Amino acid sequence: MRMPRELDIELTAKCNLRCKYCYFFENENLDYIDLTTQEWTRFFDELGSIGVMKVTLAGGEPFFRNDLKELIDSIVKNRMRFAFLSNGGLITDDIAAYIKKTGRCDSVQISLDGSCAEIHDVGRGKGSFAGAIRGLEILKKYGINTPVRYTIHHFNVDDLGNAAKLLLEDLGLKSFSTNSAGYLGNCRKNADEIMLTHADRIKAMNILVDLNQKYNGRITAAAGPLAEAKYFAKMQRAFDENAPAFAKGGHLMACGCYNNKLSIHCDGGISPCTMLPNINLGFINKDKIIDIWQNSAELNQLRQREKIELAGIEFCNNCDFTDYCTGNCPGLAYNLTQKVNHPSPDACYRNFLQQSSAL
Amino acid sequence: MNEIYTRNPVIVLREEFDDWAVLYNPDNAEAVGANPIGVDIWKRLDGSKSIGEIVGEIKQEYRNVSESVETEIFEFIEKLAKRGLIGISSTL
Ligand code: SF4
Ligand code: SF4
Repeated sequence: MRMPRELDIELTAKCNLRCKYCYFFENENLDYIDLTTQEWTRFFDELGSIGVMKVTLAGGEPFFRNDLKELIDSIVKNRMRFAFLSNGGLITDDIAAYIKKTGRCDSVQISLDGSCAEIHDVGRGKGSFAGAIRGLEILKKYGINTPVRYTIHHFNVDDLGNAAKLLLEDLGLKSFSTNSAGYLGNCRKNADEIMLTHADRIKAMNILVDLNQKYNGRITAAAGPLAEAKYFAKMQRAFDENAPAFAKGGHLMACGCYNNKLSIHCDGGISPCTMLPNINLGFINKDKIIDIWQNSAELNQLRQREKIELAGIEFCNNCDFTDYCTGNCPGLAYNLTQKVNHPSPDACYRNFLQQSSAL
Repeated sequence: MNEIYTRNPVIVLREEFDDWAVLYNPDNAEAVGANPIGVDIWKRLDGSKSIGEIVGEIKQEYRNVSESVETEIFEFIEKLAKRGLIGISSTL
């Protein structure tokens, strides 16, 4: 591909919340500054000129920016679509109506981590549940697509059933997605308190598999307990049946997002992925996206990651599952091992089995 | 044959691999694939030439194109028009 299809953009370093498991804050690789309106619009002009199709706007909290309408105008002018990742608390009727009118917004994803304030606010702070629900209702009123993301942690595992009822029955969402608090950013400071224990993780897997049966697959996951429950079962089945290697198995494949998109951090730093701010490929308005995409040695090296065989990595020595394993997220791998070319120990099936047998 | 088409200015031409491209409509997120000849036609649809003229130019430029190229060009243009990627600006 000659240029990236999409970009993830951290539009601001500001946020109305300080969630205990926020991946964004407390990252030593980032400068927590905000770029000016002109710096962003100049950059959007560049994206428009090379045919980028979509930007996903996050932060911090993207609705914190008081120049958001101007930024949206610039994205629309440059023939792109957009989406938001938000905590919902700063969404107003005025901005929702503006977004709707553009006809270019794919979705505004709202984080909701509990069925009530007592649970949700444990991780995200007082008043945040009310904000998320208010945001959701406003977006719904304007007919804006609002996927919900439920981040599972130590204090909300047991609430999954109530949350599914709230989201799928009471609020009538088509589906919602789940992941779990990962060892990134602020979460590293609160890991012992907030991250899932191994027992929590197994419990979350069982609850989610059951709920998904009850709700006909309306709960989704690209990572976290539900994704792992499905993938681990597939790996075990393949191993039991002595099945041939998976098409993506045996190598450090992971999601391969760096073949489709790039990430821009709040300070203008360019990275292969939001989860990999440690790999700096340059800065916006100084370095050209197209040059980075086509010629960056670091990016090309990362793209070669998928040629690295798991069987040759010490961590995977004598593992029975290498043929069915993809090594998982390089961002998490880096945070846990300080190495990008390494599987993520967090999502390792062999580790999971060892920890389960020790319970 | 006599219609003069022009491109919808909102459509993005994304050249992807080996001169193949995607014509992307950000207003509805629809994408239409285009082979190298399709890309060439797209670039010529600038409101100055009729379909007949474009067919003539393509036939001349790509000497070893198949007999069916004319029909293929018409079908491609029809597809673009149907999806709102181009519109008739005038007729000769
Ligand atoms: S997780 Fe999101 S809402 Fe929470 S502090 Fe971080 S950026 Fe703000
Ligand atoms: S040790 Fe873990 S990461 Fe390595 S191949 Fe086995 S399951 Fe995958």
